[in-house]
Amino acid sequence: MIQVRGLSKEFLGRDGEGTGVLAIDSLDFEVRDNEFLTVIGPSGCGKTTLLRIIAGLIPFNDGEVSIDDVAVTGPGPDRAVVFQNFALMPWADVLTNVAFGLEIRGKPKAECEATAMRLVRLVGLEGFERRLPKELSGGMQQRVGLARALAVNPRILLMDEPFGALDEQTRRLLQEQLLRIWDRERKTVIFITHSMEEAVLLGDRVMLMTPRPGRVKEIIEVPLKRPRGQETEKSTTFTEIKEYLWENLRSMQVLDQRGEA
Amino acid sequence: MANVAIEAGKTGPIGVPAALWRPFRGAWTEALALLGGVILWEVLGRVMAMPWLPPFSKIIAALIQFVQSGVILGNAATSLQGLAIGFSISLTVGLLVGALMGRYRRVEKALDVYVNALLISPSMIFAPIFFAIFGLSDAVRIAVIVMYSLFVIIMNTATAVRTVDPALVEMASSFGANERQIFLRILLPASLPLVFAGVRLGMGRAVKGMINGEMLIAMVGLGALAQRYGSQFEASKVFAIALVVLIIALVCNWVVQTAENRLTRWAD
Repeated sequence: MIQVRGLSKEFLGRDGEGTGVLAIDSLDFEVRDNEFLTVIGPSGCGKTTLLRIIAGLIPFNDGEVSIDDVAVTGPGPDRAVVFQNFALMPWADVLTNVAFGLEIRGKPKAECEATAMRLVRLVGLEGFERRLPKELSGGMQQRVGLARALAVNPRILLMDEPFGALDEQTRRLLQEQLLRIWDRERKTVIFITHSMEEAVLLGDRVMLMTPRPGRVKEIIEVPLKRPRGQETEKSTTFTEIKEYLWENLRSMQVLDQRGEA
Repeated sequence: MANVAIEAGKTGPIGVPAALWRPFRGAWTEALALLGGVILWEVLGRVMAMPWLPPFSKIIAALIQFVQSGVILGNAATSLQGLAIGFSISLTVGLLVGALMGRYRRVEKALDVYVNALLISPSMIFAPIFFAIFGLSDAVRIAVIVMYSLFVIIMNTATAVRTVDPALVEMASSFGANERQIFLRILLPASLPLVFAGVRLGMGRAVKGMINGEMLIAMVGLGALAQRYGSQFEASKVFAIALVVLIIALVCNWVVQTAENRLTRWAD
């Protein structure tokens, strides 16, 4: 279980001190084991910052973040991140990119390669092992990113708007693929998104955040049965939750615009 | 056209074997431009009959005589030895210091002003100081070569490492990569294209440093040869030496370029 208690994060001013920006203000929430939590909120609500804190990539000012009662102090083998802009090594082929996490963790070469091959197959990139990232479409690149994260067999998958840079059709296909994989290899997932459909379609719960400073507005249960797919989006529950999210997000945007005027 | 030539009899134009000819295929414009330049030089040299512009054929004749007498080979060897040592020092120190400056903000802040100052200051100004330090030894001309080539390599390497996509470093950190792994697995390969740009510039400057050092202080090698014939006003011999230096520069550049093409193919 991931526990976040009273978490606050302040970004310092340019000179490294003084008048900082409060990105996250006393956040409280939990993520259960094998739960799929989606996080949505307008820009500036600190959702990416939150993810990077849980990943152990940046420090925070106040509060606690723990995984199974062990405090997070840095990156760990229990977590892997899927990045918004894929973060693939442009000089390395697909297989090398997928094997990266394993090699960093000092696994023997044969094991790295075998595992990487298995994951390349899992995400449907067989035959592209020796291609460079630039030779792949955006959707294929993010499948490499997903395979790289899964290769280290993390218990927790941290996904930072992973499909945000993709077109609608590709995004849908990848959502379905992600759900299929998650069904098979149960993992705890924290998934940042700015798409309401995506938040509801994927999440067991949707965490709605408010901006400046980032706070949890509400955590909404999504009682839609799994496996989910095209049919899910036609149900009234799906539409209701989506509408509810939109009302909230819309009022935040309106407030935001008034605040800036 | 060249394809037809290869298929018919395995030779290219003017009877050159096709395999040798292949790298130069498609270089017709360059070849014609060079040929045009040589012809113009020859004609101007003959028509004007000025002592400072001997016809091109005289320069070639001087060059052949140099090669036959062994003067060129011995002096070129001396020059190249200095170049190899000097450039190796520049490369090692340049890559190391540049990488540290690019990675660590504090190192950059401390060294930036020195590197910038030395990069833009004329390197030969320091020649007398090298002379005072090293006396009459090869170390002086090597120091001049280092002075010429080191700082541009440092600058480019620092910029290259500094501008590596931070997302890649963050990605590596997220998998628990330590500083050494980040350096070897991310920063090094990611910065290679820009690093090579610096190495190529450094190589060009090292050749300049080699000749300048030899002409003005050390009085050995090709530079000293050029200096001697220059003072005797033997223009065709000076041009012949210039031609040799040019060829050395081109070969050095080709070596760096070949290494670059192999290592940074992904960046095309």
